[in-house]
Amino acid sequence: MKIIVCYKWVPDEQDIKIAADLKVDMSMAKWKISEYDKNAIEEAALQAENNAAEVTCLTFGTSKAKQSLKDALSRGPEKAYWVNDAKAENTDGFVTANILAAAIKKVGIPDLIFFGEGSEDSYGQQVGPRVAALLDIPALTFVTKTAVKDDAITTTRSIGNCTEDVTASFPAVVCMLPEINKPRIPSLKQVLKASKKPVEEIKLADLGLSDAELTVKNKVKSIQGFVMNRKNKLYQDGSSAEKVKALVSDLAKEGLA
Amino acid sequence: MSDEEKFDAIIIGAGPAGCACAYILAREGKNVLVIERGDCPGSKNVTGGRLYTYALELVEPGLYKDAALERQVVREQIMMLSEKQGITIDYYNENLEENTSIPQSFTVLRAKFDQWFADKAEEQGAMIASGIRVDDLLMENDKIVGVKAGEDEMYADIVIAADGVNSLMGQKAGLKEEWNGHEVGVGIKEIIELPQDVINNRFAVGQGEGAARMILGQTGGIQGGGFIYTNKTSVSVGMVVSPAELAKQDKSVADIYQDFKMHPAIQKLISDGTTAEYSAHLVPENGWNSVPKKLYRDGFLMVGDAAGFCINTGTIIRGIDLAIVSGVAAAKAILKESEQPGIQYMKNLEELSLVPTMKLFAGWPQITSIPRMVQKYPDMINETMDFMFKVDGKVPPKMTGALKNIMKSHVSLFELISDGWRGFRAI
Amino acid sequence: MAGIYIYSEEQPVTEQLLTAGKTLANSLNEKINVIDFSEQDSESFIKKGADHVLCLKSDHPWPESYAQIIADILKEKDPTVVLIGGTLRGKTTASIIAAKLQTGLVNNAFAIEGSGSVIETKRIMYSGIAVCTEELCHGSIVTIEPRTFDAAQDSDHQGDTENIDIQPEAKTITVGNVCPIVHQDNDIATAEKLVCVGRGLSDQNDMKLAEELAEKLHAQICCTRSVAEDYHWLTTDKYVGLSGAKVKPNLYISMGVSGQVQHVAGMRDSKVIVAVDTNENAPIFAAADYGIVGDLHEIIPLLTKELG
Repeated sequence: MKIIVCYKWVPDEQDIKIAADLKVDMSMAKWKISEYDKNAIEEAALQAENNAAEVTCLTFGTSKAKQSLKDALSRGPEKAYWVNDAKAENTDGFVTANILAAAIKKVGIPDLIFFGEGSEDSYGQQVGPRVAALLDIPALTFVTKTAVKDDAITTTRSIGNCTEDVTASFPAVVCMLPEINKPRIPSLKQVLKASKKPVEEIKLADLGLSDAELTVKNKVKSIQGFVMNRKNKLYQDGSSAEKVKALVSDLAKEGLA
Repeated sequence: MSDEEKFDAIIIGAGPAGCACAYILAREGKNVLVIERGDCPGSKNVTGGRLYTYALELVEPGLYKDAALERQVVREQIMMLSEKQGITIDYYNENLEENTSIPQSFTVLRAKFDQWFADKAEEQGAMIASGIRVDDLLMENDKIVGVKAGEDEMYADIVIAADGVNSLMGQKAGLKEEWNGHEVGVGIKEIIELPQDVINNRFAVGQGEGAARMILGQTGGIQGGGFIYTNKTSVSVGMVVSPAELAKQDKSVADIYQDFKMHPAIQKLISDGTTAEYSAHLVPENGWNSVPKKLYRDGFLMVGDAAGFCINTGTIIRGIDLAIVSGVAAAKAILKESEQPGIQYMKNLEELSLVPTMKLFAGWPQITSIPRMVQKYPDMINETMDFMFKVDGKVPPKMTGALKNIMKSHVSLFELISDGWRGFRAI
Repeated sequence: MAGIYIYSEEQPVTEQLLTAGKTLANSLNEKINVIDFSEQDSESFIKKGADHVLCLKSDHPWPESYAQIIADILKEKDPTVVLIGGTLRGKTTASIIAAKLQTGLVNNAFAIEGSGSVIETKRIMYSGIAVCTEELCHGSIVTIEPRTFDAAQDSDHQGDTENIDIQPEAKTITVGNVCPIVHQDNDIATAEKLVCVGRGLSDQNDMKLAEELAEKLHAQICCTRSVAEDYHWLTTDKYVGLSGAKVKPNLYISMGVSGQVQHVAGMRDSKVIVAVDTNENAPIFAAADYGIVGDLHEIIPLLTKELG
């Protein structure tokens, strides 16, 4: 069984600053593998350990994403594919899916393709099912459990008001919810092994995509800090009982107590 | 034991000392592993600092040219603060090395610099494993033969502790004790972001040029001092105070630092900036006196802050350069393939002038520990300035009498002479 | 051809999308088309503002399997914009349709506005700290989460219905064991009042404090992600956040919640937010209308008593 797990290299939102003019400042941000994708990598690693799956990982990123490869490989995959292009700086779900699908076709469609439920930065929640559609294979999304038997995968999906078990024969795309597992913290030996694992860089030009397929669809007009409009009233005077009294009186004015 | 698990050298910590050592060893064909606790090199290090270029030249001539540096220091400044006044001594010097025109020093942001240095070491062939905490040393017949991280054991001919001021590895090796209160300072460092041209204007420096300012006074009467370094688009502001004295009074170091920042002469330098990072940590403060008695044992060397290599003269703080030099000394000792790399390492530290320099400044910590240095003298000099520049339409007092009175109100003649003597003796 | 197309596999969500669609139709001067599965619903959608309903006749039970058919229909109709209900199934369906049509997709838009021929959407990024405004390409798909808009009201609006017989293909898929999640109490997503517990609770016994307060207020209890996923004090359907439930009660009282961005993203549409936490620097206070810095073991019982 072959698995390709896709991941994205994202800025850590804890380091993202919102300036007074609401501009988003990422200059201090450290970058990391999107947390949701770590769940996907972990699930693939578990399949490798339990079902002898051959796992490789794939990312589309700028030259900076090179830093991510060792981290990704230390989490289990035996090989990394890296579509290295500055276009990753300005991409959308449409372009990313086109590129990933083309890269997967190029290296050979595996039995299973794993994704996280969305990326931590833009949280577009679409690249996984888009890739499935482009490859014309089923997409099993919001998955909390996987089980592989013969040439099929059975997943438990948790979709709002119900759960359901969906079985798909290979090949299929599976997108994981975070509760599916706890990603491992790579050990020293896993990190060392990772630096010896092969990385194959894929050039965008070799994927045979048209200009239209590489042009973002919706135009981002602005990305600005979210403005929280709250009263921010802190009760600081008096005893705890007095603070609570003041709070309840304010809530009463709002018709809530 | 497979190949994979045995290295020529394992270096714990990917700071300047560890990276310098790894860079040279890897360049000379050694199989080197650097283990870094942070998720990436520099991530445990929010501080800004200052790099003296000569150290990097020892690693590889010209290496500094593409290093992640902030500004070339052209203004050395000493500032003395009293409650509302401040006097600044400003020394302008482009400080270019005579023959080579290499600038003497640069400000750096450790998060960027360490990452750059680790990348360089990796390019040379060193293996960097980040996000890994080393838990213990492996010993065989009283020789240190490797490290243990989680369940994993990794062996090496030599283990180099470059794990910083608290050096857990130095403690595990039995070479280092926990710091005494008088050997360390409690440091607060902050990175305050400001636009590039605002920094240029406030510190009167050109593009790419920077200032390094040491500040005495307004540390709440506690032994210690402050500093400001200019980076490209931020300033590193900080303060180091004695924890022992701090413990004796109610104010927290955070409060003292806040008051320090609110001093009108400081506030104007940093106003409208936004804090990007803020941290409190320990700084080795006691110079040569707190360097462990022994920096090596069989299969083990200590470098950088772990070895206590830090000099604070009151006018400059040196740490990064000493770290790099000690990393170089360790690498060269290992490359000699001698039976006793530890002894060779100490020899190299002598030859590279590190130990003699540390010894020279051995008495300096006592200078800044003279309580008068942090309050009375700054107050006194500011009062003198006030007298010299005051014009209020009244008849001014006579010069000699007035100056004597100012001095008397702050220190006794005896104190003055004894401080002078201590300063003289220190060098 | 052009027009606004609306689809959701859940009938109440379609009614909410009609509210957004009508505003958009007015400013763009376009017709509203709804895709659904039931003639009965079709009638009601027309009353609520649909000009044209395409009613798909099929008995395939897996909503996601309609993506290809909807894509085929939309390809022929060449819509200006497609609004799809942003349920989890809806977002998956929308992604597949967008890929099939090689068009753009904005998931989780919380605002959509049309002016002239330009349509702009807003959605959150970076776990909620930023808002991304996008100008849509022609034919873009937009998903809007349930309850973002109120349901459209009945009127005497006229429209027509077109029945389409379809045969969805999903031969490589089998679906079984469909279990509705039974909410122990009511669904927190629709609760009027919520008491939220976070990691500031020292142990599970502290849940009693929350329960007593909730009882007094007639509120539901919800929690942060770690309380559900790490401590298991409540089930995962009770956690509020970006990847959990989005709530917008009239009153939201948090106790021992630090207020990480991902959590705040799930509750910041609440009308009034009250925070109780020991750490005065906790980000929850920036997100709150009223705050008390203090030990919840002391404050919450006082609050429960005071509300008496």
